[in-house]
Amino acid sequence: MVPDRIEREILIDAPPDRVWAVVTEPEHVGRWFGDSAEIDLRPGGEATLTWEEHGSVRARVERVEPPHLFSFRWARPVGAEPREGNSTLVEFRLTAEGESTRLHVVESGFQELDRSEEEKAEYAEENTQGWKLELEDLREYVSALVR
Amino acid sequence: MRARGEADELWAAVADPTRQRLLDALLAHHEATATELATELPVTRQAVAKHLAVLDRAGLVEARRLGREVRYTVRPERLDAVTRRLTRVAAHWDERLARIKRLAESTDPSQPS
Repeated sequence: MVPDRIEREILIDAPPDRVWAVVTEPEHVGRWFGDSAEIDLRPGGEATLTWEEHGSVRARVERVEPPHLFSFRWARPVGAEPREGNSTLVEFRLTAEGESTRLHVVESGFQELDRSEEEKAEYAEENTQGWKLELEDLREYVSALVR
Repeated sequence: MRARGEADELWAAVADPTRQRLLDALLAHHEATATELATELPVTRQAVAKHLAVLDRAGLVEARRLGREVRYTVRPERLDAVTRRLTRVAAHWDERLARIKRLAESTDPSQPS
């Protein structure tokens, strides 16, 4: 099967309730995802993630099961309403490990996204523009990891 | 147009998080040896060499012998738009998770600063 998902995880030295708050509350989301956020935290609720530089991306909340599961679908391009075919699903899972929390994230649905040639061209362009900057970010990030 | 099996191999090669980081590091340096790459990633030189072999089989990297060392470069034509996108998405999530970790560990979430 062709992979169509990105999976990442991290161990956080804080209890699940605390991690849940950071992952779901707009004032925190605006600090780790974009520059500001609005979230109607219930299934079907609307969410907006704003980047001062790029604009607002719209999302729809899918599952809210505190403090274990939170998922939403976010759409591209900027401003588009999330639906099948223009959005990817982001799912956070929180698992207690002693005093800590393992936070696992899966983003899926990229194959769907890349279905139309027009969209492919759009992403290719976006990638070309964004790639260099991303690498700079990544380099900083990797050196922070190594430190 | 690549054959299906070949495309699957390509996807499998980039689906692994360590190999994604390896590709990113290699892209950042343009060219590097397994030893150099091992200093940037939380894995051993042996593991880096193994991952490079997988990437080599998928045609994603090219090995060039220079005296006693083997230097690797990414073959950008193989790293198509979707691959780059996934690699980028993964790097983004690593950054976001690191920020979530910092926020959760350093501040009281009920008291936004």
